[in-house]
Amino acid sequence: MMKPLLAGVLLPLVASLVLLAAMGGPVRAANEVDLQVKLLAKDGHVQVSFTLTHGFTSELQAAIRSGLTATIAYETELRRGGTLWFDRTLATATVTATARYDNLTRQHQLSRTVDGRGEEPRLTEDEEQVREWMTVFKQLPLFSTKQLEENAEYYVRVRARTRPRVNWLLFWPWEHGAPTGEARFTLIQ
Amino acid sequence: MLTLRDTSPAPSPARPRPRRQASERRPFRDNPLLIVVGIALLVTALAATLTFGSRSSRFSPDFLTEFVLYALSAADLAMILALVFVLARNILKLMVERRRGLPFARFRSKLVGVLLGMTLIPSVLVLFVGSELIRTNLDRWFNAPMEEIVASANRTAGDYYRERQKLVSDTSQRIALALAPLGFPDADVTRVFEVIKPEVAPLRTSMVEVYRVVLGRGPRPDVSAVAEVRVPSFPPDYNRVSADRLAERVASGSAETHGFEPLGGGGELLRSAAPVRGRDGRLAGVVVASDYLTGEMADRSRRMTDAYEQYSKLKVLKSNMFGVYISFFLMVTLMILVGATWIGFYLAKRITRPIQMLAAAARDIGAGHLDHRLEPETSDEFGALVEAFNAMTGELSNSRQDLERSAQDLQRQHQEVEARRRYIETVLERITTGVVSVDAAGRVTTINSAAARLLGLQGAGAGQPVADLLGRTDLSLLLALVEGARGGAQDPPAQEIALAHDGREVHLAAAATRLHGEGGATEGTVLVFDDITPLIRAQKVAAWREVARRLAHEIKNPLTPIQLCAERLARHFQSAPPPTRALVEECTKTIVGEVESLKGLVDEFSQFARMPAPKRIPTNLPTLLADTLALYVGLFREVKIDTLAPPDMPLVRVDPEQIRRVVINLVDNAIEAMERKGQIVIEVQHAAVERVARIIVADNGPGIPASEREKLFMPYYSTKRRGSGLGLAIVRRIIAEHGGSIDAADNVPRGTRFIVELPV
Repeated sequence: MMKPLLAGVLLPLVASLVLLAAMGGPVRAANEVDLQVKLLAKDGHVQVSFTLTHGFTSELQAAIRSGLTATIAYETELRRGGTLWFDRTLATATVTATARYDNLTRQHQLSRTVDGRGEEPRLTEDEEQVREWMTVFKQLPLFSTKQLEENAEYYVRVRARTRPRVNWLLFWPWEHGAPTGEARFTLIQ
Repeated sequence: MLTLRDTSPAPSPARPRPRRQASERRPFRDNPLLIVVGIALLVTALAATLTFGSRSSRFSPDFLTEFVLYALSAADLAMILALVFVLARNILKLMVERRRGLPFARFRSKLVGVLLGMTLIPSVLVLFVGSELIRTNLDRWFNAPMEEIVASANRTAGDYYRERQKLVSDTSQRIALALAPLGFPDADVTRVFEVIKPEVAPLRTSMVEVYRVVLGRGPRPDVSAVAEVRVPSFPPDYNRVSADRLAERVASGSAETHGFEPLGGGGELLRSAAPVRGRDGRLAGVVVASDYLTGEMADRSRRMTDAYEQYSKLKVLKSNMFGVYISFFLMVTLMILVGATWIGFYLAKRITRPIQMLAAAARDIGAGHLDHRLEPETSDEFGALVEAFNAMTGELSNSRQDLERSAQDLQRQHQEVEARRRYIETVLERITTGVVSVDAAGRVTTINSAAARLLGLQGAGAGQPVADLLGRTDLSLLLALVEGARGGAQDPPAQEIALAHDGREVHLAAAATRLHGEGGATEGTVLVFDDITPLIRAQKVAAWREVARRLAHEIKNPLTPIQLCAERLARHFQSAPPPTRALVEECTKTIVGEVESLKGLVDEFSQFARMPAPKRIPTNLPTLLADTLALYVGLFREVKIDTLAPPDMPLVRVDPEQIRRVVINLVDNAIEAMERKGQIVIEVQHAAVERVARIIVADNGPGIPASEREKLFMPYYSTKRRGSGLGLAIVRRIIAEHGGSIDAADNVPRGTRFIVELPV
């Protein structure tokens, strides 16, 4: 009885699940996107610059051109490494860059926020400017150096999350392969 | 659907299992209300899922990707886990049940397999086909003609907007150039109106606003409205805030010179700003030209763009939508599968469980627990089956109780019969009366040991024909007696029958009686006979004693005169001539001798007739024998007398003098029989079981023929020339007076053994 049950029920079920998983869509290669982080401690702040190379993907461009509000959220963490325990997160900041395209006026409305604090939205018709707006950030004073110890080594890790997600994997909705970059520094006064 | 409750007292058949308490929670599978609620919830969940899925195209992308997909995937995984759990759990249970050899495990496995196959195969097929249908439909949504149509419409609307935008932009720049010579920011407002009024006309520019810009008063330029001209058809609810903001941006040096402002009452304003330079070339003012798109026009354009954007959004989110639909579909399939699987196992259990319980109950009843009962909870066929089962069990229980009562009665009767049989058997075995019972077919049913002993039937047993049992010649009279009772109309009269076997004559008083059954029919015959040989002997001895007494009396009286006369004759003929004297002396001597002999004989007769009663005292027989045999020491040189006696011989109550006489008599007879040459062994034995003491006197003489042995103990029987024939008769009488017996038998290898038995 077990053999027919295995052959008749379980195997087709497993096969169907595997087949459905294979139909889920292309899996993005991890090395396509790179997040480069640069740091500068200046004026009492850790100024963070980062560039999401190849992050302005064709899927994201298509999403923007469709009128969807596209957002890339950069989650930055200032962390200190530990030898005996997990690394400690000292501070976090979230930088978001949003673009929305109006197909009628053919203008992109761009906006950025740092921890929810927004800047004046901008309008542009230049898609290159949109790409740069979404992926290039220079010298953002995200963290204060007051709480940091001298001659101690820290690092900033940035993780980019793109919305909307258009590369959904069947039966696995959790985000996979979010580009991450980090840079280390030692605070010298 | 059937539900059963086993109310049997499994551990103890005598104690019924208590019924389930009312407060005991009912299992889910046995609660129809809960089952209905569960099915309703499942159907509701299916309907909600389908409704939710049908509206998924209207969800926002973030909601779709961040919530719906997560929730659906989690639900799918939960369903798969639930399905695997239900399958694994029940399959393991089935495997365990089959390994344990539980009844109906194989049937249940087959039933579950069929139900699962009937559900799983269509479900998986529908899942595959549905997935392909969804994929095909999604591809069909985004086909090339449709995309071309919506893209063209979007381009048309965009081009229209861009053209109107360009017109407004050209107007604002032309006005800015025309206003520059007026000397901003201090230009005459009247002249400004003169410049801008001609530009404002329907189908060209709906409104022109001019701002003065003063720099250097603060961090931001000071922008203030100077003039405004609009067409009469301009919407009355116009708000100038957006124009002011655009002017400020341009005054701040922003490159954003365009703007759009939807109006509350419908329609839309297309704005374009252009900087006005002063005479020194510095920014001195801003011209904002606006074009009013009527509500219908703006709405139509916006709808075309919205349609395109909606289409493009769906196209971008095509894989997500596919995932949502597939997840919905999979969830529905899994819900059906989980439900069907559970229902399959549930049905299998519901079908087999009552049968299993019936089988278990049948086994329990087969083991004797007739109090086993099943509680029907439904009134369907299974319920009727359970009722019939319980009725059958009840009848079985009643029948068994009746049987047990009957068995107890039978057992009691059997015990009574057995006791009676043992009693009769004991009586039959103990009595000296011989009893032989014969059934109607002429076969012996009973023969007691007395009968076998009296008739000399060693090894005779029940079952053999009476004609064979009594087939011996000397038993023919007994057989005739039995046959006479069996065949005759009346029982034959009792008879005295003399038998002779082993050289002994046995006198039997025999009677045969028919046995009558309840209906009066003859069921057999019983032959009863008593050994009256001792009685006959006693009668003979009594007769002989009377004879002896009379002989002694009649003979002894004339002997003395005869002797006296003979002696007188002898004295008288003392003086007679020698020949006469010799003759007389010889005759008188003979007469006196014979008289003396007759006196001795008469004395023996007298002694035999007047044998005194024994004076019994506890006596040590070996000592008595030793003392007695000491008399023979040295008398007979060629006779060897040996004695054998056990060391623990108990004392026997006898008259020592009479027993001494018995021993002397027996030893004398043996010596005479051996002609004073041979060996005599006198042995004393104690038979504790028979409670007798035996004195065995054995010689190796010529022996006594079997035919002569019975006569040995008769008075006046003697093999000796000068014996009175009363020795052994006296011996027998002494032994009889002691309550014992004496018998003669052949000695091995030769000679005669006299066996005296005395009660201990």
